Amino acid sequence: MPHRTDRQRSGLLVLSWSLALLGAVAAGAERPAPPPYFAITDVQVHTGTGERLEGATVVVADGLIEAVGTDVAIPADAWVIDGEGLHLFPGLFDAMTTLGQKQEESDDSGGRRGGRGDDGPVIRGPEDRPATTPWVDAADLVAADDGRIETWREAGFTHALTLPTEGFFPGQGAILALGSGEPKELIIASGVAHRINFRGNGGFRSFPGSLMGGISYVNQVLYDADHYARAQALYDSDPRGLVRPAYDRTLEPLRQAFERDQPFLMPAHHGREIDRVLNLARAHGLKPVLFGGHGAYHRVEALAREATPVVISLDWPEGESDRDPDAPEALRDLAHRRLAPAVPSMLAEADVPFAFASDSLAGPTQVFEGIRKAIDAGLDEHDALTALTLGAARILGVDEQLGSIEPGKIANLVLASALPWAEDAEVKAVFVDGHRFATREPSEEDEPPASDPSGTWSLTLQTPRGNRDMTAELEMNDDGKVTGELAGERGATPIEKGKMAGDRLSFKMTREMGGRSMEASYSLKIEADEAKGTMRAGPMTMDLVGTRTDSAPAGDDDSASDAPDVSLAEIREALEVMQSPVRTGGSFAITNARVWPVSGPILDDATVVVENGKITAVGSDVAIPRGAEVIDAEGGSVIPGIIDAHSHIAIEGGGNEGSVSVSSMVTIQDVLQPDDIAIYRALAGGVTTINVLHGSANPIGGGNAVIKLRWGQDADGLRFEGAMPGIKFALGENPKRSNFRPPPGSPERYPSTRMGVMDVIRQAFTEARAYRDDWRAHERAVEAGERRMPPRRDLKLERLVEILEGERLVHAHSYRADEILQLLRLAESYDFRIATLQHVLEGFKVADEIAAHGAGASTFSDWWGYKVEANDAIPHNAALMTERGVVVSINSDSSEEMRHLNHEAAKAIRWGGMSEIDALALVTLNPARQLGIDDRVGSIEVGKDADLVLYDGHPLSVRSVVQRTWVDGDLYFEIAADRERQATIESMRDRLAPSEDEAEEGENEAPAYTTAYDYDAMHAHAGTHYSCREIH
Amino acid sequence: MTRRTTSISSFRSIRAASLLLLAFVVALPGFAASAPGTLVLEGGTIHPVVGTPYTGNVVIQDGLIHAAGADVTAPDGATRVDISGLHVYPGLCDAISQLGLVEIGAVAATVDTTESGMMNPHLVAATAIHPASEVIPVARAGGITHTVTAPETGRDGIIAGRASFIHLDGWTVEEMAIVPSVALVISWPEIETRSFDFSTFSFRDTPFGEAKEEAEASQNTLRDWMDAARHYAQAIAAGSDRLERDHKLEALGPVLSGELPVIIGANAARDIEAAVAFAEEQGIRMILAGGGEAWKVHELLVEKKIPVILGMTATLPDREDAPYDQPFQTAGKLAAAGVPIAIGTGAGGGFGPGGPHSSRTLPFEIGMATAYGLSEEDALAALTINPARMFGLGDRLGSIEAGKIANLIVTDGSPLEITTQIRHVIIGGRDVPLDNKHQELYERYRARPAP
Repeated sequence: MPHRTDRQRSGLLVLSWSLALLGAVAAGAERPAPPPYFAITDVQVHTGTGERLEGATVVVADGLIEAVGTDVAIPADAWVIDGEGLHLFPGLFDAMTTLGQKQEESDDSGGRRGGRGDDGPVIRGPEDRPATTPWVDAADLVAADDGRIETWREAGFTHALTLPTEGFFPGQGAILALGSGEPKELIIASGVAHRINFRGNGGFRSFPGSLMGGISYVNQVLYDADHYARAQALYDSDPRGLVRPAYDRTLEPLRQAFERDQPFLMPAHHGREIDRVLNLARAHGLKPVLFGGHGAYHRVEALAREATPVVISLDWPEGESDRDPDAPEALRDLAHRRLAPAVPSMLAEADVPFAFASDSLAGPTQVFEGIRKAIDAGLDEHDALTALTLGAARILGVDEQLGSIEPGKIANLVLASALPWAEDAEVKAVFVDGHRFATREPSEEDEPPASDPSGTWSLTLQTPRGNRDMTAELEMNDDGKVTGELAGERGATPIEKGKMAGDRLSFKMTREMGGRSMEASYSLKIEADEAKGTMRAGPMTMDLVGTRTDSAPAGDDDSASDAPDVSLAEIREALEVMQSPVRTGGSFAITNARVWPVSGPILDDATVVVENGKITAVGSDVAIPRGAEVIDAEGGSVIPGIIDAHSHIAIEGGGNEGSVSVSSMVTIQDVLQPDDIAIYRALAGGVTTINVLHGSANPIGGGNAVIKLRWGQDADGLRFEGAMPGIKFALGENPKRSNFRPPPGSPERYPSTRMGVMDVIRQAFTEARAYRDDWRAHERAVEAGERRMPPRRDLKLERLVEILEGERLVHAHSYRADEILQLLRLAESYDFRIATLQHVLEGFKVADEIAAHGAGASTFSDWWGYKVEANDAIPHNAALMTERGVVVSINSDSSEEMRHLNHEAAKAIRWGGMSEIDALALVTLNPARQLGIDDRVGSIEVGKDADLVLYDGHPLSVRSVVQRTWVDGDLYFEIAADRERQATIESMRDRLAPSEDEAEEGENEAPAYTTAYDYDAMHAHAGTHYSCREIH
Repeated sequence: MTRRTTSISSFRSIRAASLLLLAFVVALPGFAASAPGTLVLEGGTIHPVVGTPYTGNVVIQDGLIHAAGADVTAPDGATRVDISGLHVYPGLCDAISQLGLVEIGAVAATVDTTESGMMNPHLVAATAIHPASEVIPVARAGGITHTVTAPETGRDGIIAGRASFIHLDGWTVEEMAIVPSVALVISWPEIETRSFDFSTFSFRDTPFGEAKEEAEASQNTLRDWMDAARHYAQAIAAGSDRLERDHKLEALGPVLSGELPVIIGANAARDIEAAVAFAEEQGIRMILAGGGEAWKVHELLVEKKIPVILGMTATLPDREDAPYDQPFQTAGKLAAAGVPIAIGTGAGGGFGPGGPHSSRTLPFEIGMATAYGLSEEDALAALTINPARMFGLGDRLGSIEAGKIANLIVTDGSPLEITTQIRHVIIGGRDVPLDNKHQELYERYRARPAP
C-alpha cells in the first residue's frame, strides 16, 4: 500500500471548505493490493497503429503489455476480464497540461513572474533573466493530490504532458501517468520538452513589456545558450590556457536541450504567430512543436514542409457572452471560429503530425466535446484516436513506451463501450501502468425516469454566504440520460453523468478553481415543475431548490448554429476576397492621364506602361505593348505610390518597449501584423510603402520595418526587400516622460531631462564602440590562430554597431531646435549620421544645421500646441526647411491621417507656397530618398517599381478620390472592387453571425493582445488635450 | 431695388430678434472693435450661401453688411478694396470648439475646458475664454470668424456647462461675445462596452448588460436633475420665499422652458435614439453633436427636426469590416436626408490633438466630404448659415445679406480647398490683420542669416 499514507495525509488536509472542494481526491478507504496480472479477453482491440483485432486477448503483466492477439494463451494467474462487446484502446494522451503540478511558491529564481503585473521585481534588461527557469522540471513539481488526475483518468486519459506554463522559459515537461501513488511513481519521463513563451508583461514598468521585447529576449537567451555551449565545448576540448567558463544554471539546461535535441513547445495560433515560431526555430536550430494551432488553416503547407508537429488546443475559439449587440463581430473572427475546428482534419490530410491538448478546458467533458467538434469538421475518427495516442507519443518522443497496444509497452489502456469521446461511450475500466481502475456498475438497474426534466430551470443554491442563482438547460434522452449545462455567475458549464432515475435527477459538474478542478454532485427530486435537493462538494452539502421556467427542450446547440449551408471553402473564399490583391501580374497601360512623375514636370494626356511589376514607359507618345490591358484614365491623375515615413500600423503586441532607456535589442521586424486592416485602408488612400517605427518611449528605441503594403501576404512578403534597416531614437518630452504618469510602483527611470536623454545615447555608443573593439580584437586573434572564446553576442549593442558602421538608418523623434542640434553633434562625434529627424517641428529654426549634417526631416503638416515642445510648431516648416536645402517629407504617424497624405502635402502649398510638384514630393520621392529606396520607388520613371496611384482628379484636391492603387504592378485597391469586397464581407458575416440566443452562450474571451490597430485607436480616446500620437 | 427693400425689412426684424435675445443673455453682447467707417469690397465673386454666387460689391457699415449686390455702389468716403478675381464668403464657424479655453493641451494649467463634478449647468464658457490666446489668431487666419466655445465633461461628467457664441476678435470677452450663454452642453451617458484603459494601455471590455445598466443609471440621474429643476422653477414662479437659491437648478430653467437649446454629444445610433427620446420627453431643444452614426437614424433626426454638429470627417471606420470610407460619407448622407449639419473641432472624431489648434483645417474636413457625396453648397452651409440657424442666430450671421453682422472672408478660391489662400478676414466689419504666431515665426526664421 505505497500510496495509503499519502492519501491519508491529503485527507487530513481537508480542513476548510475551500480546500475540500479542491481535494476531490478526498480521503479514500483502505484498498487491497492491486493484482499484477490481467487478461482482457474477447475484446475488440484498437492497437493504435491502425490495426483492429476482433475477439482478441490482451495480457498485462507487471505494468506492461505482455501479449496481444487472437491466439494468446491466458496465464493461469491472470485476472480475466471479459471484454465481449467492448473496445480496448491505448490510453489517451493529453499533450499539454499542468496536471499534478503543485502551485509553486515563489523561490529564489529571480521571480517566476518576472516583473509581470504591478509587483514582482523590476527587470531592467535581458541580463536580469525575467521569468526564466529552464532548469525547472515538472517532474519535480508533481504532487499526487491533484483531483484532476482522477477526473481525467475516469474519462480514459492515462497519461499527460505536464509542463510549467508561466514565463519565457518556464521549464521542462514530464510525462505523467494518471494513476495513483507517490509522485515519483507517476513520472514516465522527465525533461521531455521545453516550453517558450513570447508575451511581454504589457507595461512600461519592467522588461520585456511588449511582444517584440519578449521575442528579442528569447532570442538573446538562445544566443547566450549557444555561446555558453561553444565556450564549454572549447574548454572541454582542451582547458589549458583558457579561462574556465562560469557555470550558468539558466543556460546549462538549454545547452543540454540543444545537445539532446529536446523539442521546444511554443504557442502559436495565427498564421503570423506560426511564421514567427518557425523562423525562430530555424534561426536557432530548435526542434519546434507548435502549441495552439487554431489558425493553422492558413499555414498547412508551411507546416507540412518540415512536418512540424502541432499540439492542438481543444479549447476552440468561442464568441463572447453578453456581447454588445450593436458591435457586430468581425468576419475574420466569425470565420476563425468556424475554421479552427477544421484544422485537425487539414493537418491529417497534409501528414502534419498533431496531438490534442485540453489546454485550459475544465475537464474531459469539454475535451471530448472539442474532439467531436473536430470530427464534425471533417476529422477522421481514426486520425483523432492517433492524435490522442501514438501521435502524441511520437511528438514527445515517448512512442517506444506509450501510444499503442503492443507487447512491451506500458499497459495504459482504456476499456470502453465505444470510442471514448462518443456521446454514449461508457468507460468500463482504465489501466494505468497495469493498475486497473474500474468503473463500478451500479448495483441495480436505474429506475426508469418518472418524468422528463427537459427545459430551462431556475435554481437557487443556499450557500453559507447567501443564495446563488443559477440556470440549468436540460434535455433528457430516451434512456434517461440527461445532458445540458448549468450557468451561474461565472458562465455556463456542461453537466456530466446526468441521469433521471425515478423522480430523482442527478448530475455532476467539474469546474476549474485556482488551478484545481472541483467536482460537485447534484441530486434533485423533480415534481412537475418544482425541484428540490442538494448539491454536494467535498464535505459540504447545500440545499438547492428550483422551478422550471420553460419546458421547451433547450435548443439544439452547436450543430444547428453552425449554419451548415456555409461551407469552409466559401468562408475561405470570402477571407481571400477580404485580404488579397484585386488582380496581380500582367502588363497594362494607363492612358489619357495627367502623369505626375514628381522627378520631372507634369505630363498631360500621357501614358504609363507597366510590365512585370516595373514601369517600362512613360510619356505622351509611347507604344502600348500587345496584350496589355488599357486603362483609360481620362480626367484622372497618376502619381507615384505614397510613402509614409512614419507609421505604427501593422504592429502586434505593442510598438514600444518602454521598460528600458535603450531598447535597440527589439525590432518591429519581429512583430509585423500583416493582417492589420489599416494596411487596406492605407492602400485606399494611395499609400504603397511605409516605415513602421518603434515608439518614442526611450532615447534609443528598437528597429524598424520598411514594408510595402502587399495586402494578403505574410510578414515576410511585406518586407521591402533591400531597404536598409533603421532604428528609432527619441528626444525630449516622451523619453523623459513629461506627459504621462508611470504606472504605480514604477521605479524612477533615467533619464528625466534632456541632459539625461543625450547622456543615455552617448553612453550607449561608448558601449557599442567597446563591443565592436572586442569583436574586432577577437577576429584578429582568431585569424592569428589563437584559441579563444568569442565575445557574447549582444543584440542591443549589435544594432548600435550597425549604426556606427553606417548599416542602419537612425530615425530620431525630435521637436525642439536645441535637442536637434545636440543630437546632430553627438552623432558627428561618433562619426555617424542621423538619417532622418522625425516630427522635427522646430526644424525650421536650425534648417541650415540639419542640411549641413545631411539629415532628412520628416514632419507633420500642421499639428501644433498639443504639448510644450510642439508649441512653436508652424505649418510652414516643410516649406522653410526645403528652402534651406533639407530633404523633407511629411508623415502621418497615424492610421487615419495616412489615408490622405496628399492633403497633408497640399498644406505646404497653403503655408509656405511650395510648388505642386515639390509638395507632392513630400509624400513620394522625398521619403523614398530618406529611406534609401529612391532607386526603386518614389517617382514615375522607367525601371522603377510600378507603385502607382490613380486619382479621379487633382491629387492635391480634397475632392479627389483614389480610384486604384498598384504595388509592384499588382492592383491592391480599386474602387469598384472595394464595393464588391464590402458586399462579400457583409453577406458572409450575416451568414456566419450567430443568432442572438447563441451569442449569449459563449464564453467571455478577452483579446490576448492589443493589436496595432488597437494601439492607434487609443488616440481617439485621448481627447483633445493630449494626444498619445506622441507616445510613438 | 427690390433687394434693397427686402434687406431693410429683414434688418429691422433682425434688430428686433437681437433685442429679444438680449432679454436673456447674461452679459451685454458687444461687437468687436468699433466699426472703422464704411468698407466696400468691390468686384469680387460673392457667395451669399443663401443664393447663387454673383459678381458685385459688399458695403459694410457699423459692423454690419449694409448692402450686397451686383449693382450696389460704394457710398462717398468709404474705404474701397478692389477684390476683383477674388471671392467673398460668409465668415466660417467652428460650430463647437474649445477656442479660448485651451492653450497647450498637455499643460493642465493652460486648459479650462473641464470642471470637476457630474452636473455643471451653471458654468459658462465665456467666463474662462482667454481673449489673448495665441490659438485664436491662428484659427482666424484660416477663415474662422466665430465659434461656439463649449466646456467639456470630465470622466463620468454629464452636464459640462453652457457654451458661448463668440467672435474670434475682441480685446475682451465682452467684445467677443455674440451670445455668452447660447446652449447647455450635455455629454450623453453612452453604453460603452469597450473603453481604453490608460493604466494598462489596452482596451477593457465590459459585458453589454453591465454597460447598459451603468449608462441607464446615469441617464436617470440626469432625469432626476431635470425633474428637480422643473419643480424649482415652479416653486420660484409660485413665489416661494423659503427656497434657497440653487444656481445649478436655476441654470436649467431656460433649458426646460425651451429658450436655451441643448447640445447633446452622442455617437452610436442607439445612444442618439435614447438622447432624442430624452429631449422629447423633457421638451427641450436638442442639437446633436458628434453623430458618428447619425446617418443610421437620419429619419428620426428629420422627424424631430434635430440638427447635427459633426466631428471630423477624417476619422477611422468604427470596426474592421466597415467600409473604409464610411466616416467620409456621413456628412453627405445626412445632408441628402435633409438633416441640417454643421461641423466642429470640439465634436469629437478625427485623430490626434485636434481641438481648437486644428480649427483652421475645419473647411478641409468638410471639404473632404464633398468627395464622398456632400454637395459644395451643403458643405458651405455647414460652415456658415447652418450653425447660425441652429443657435437661433440665422437672422444675424451665416450669409451675405444686408443687415447681417459683417463676418466675411475674402479668398482666391473655394475655402474648402487646402491650396486656397485667405486674403481678408472681416469680423464685425473690421478687416482683421492675419498676423499670428505661426506667420511671425515663419518670417523671423526665414530671415535667419546662414550660420
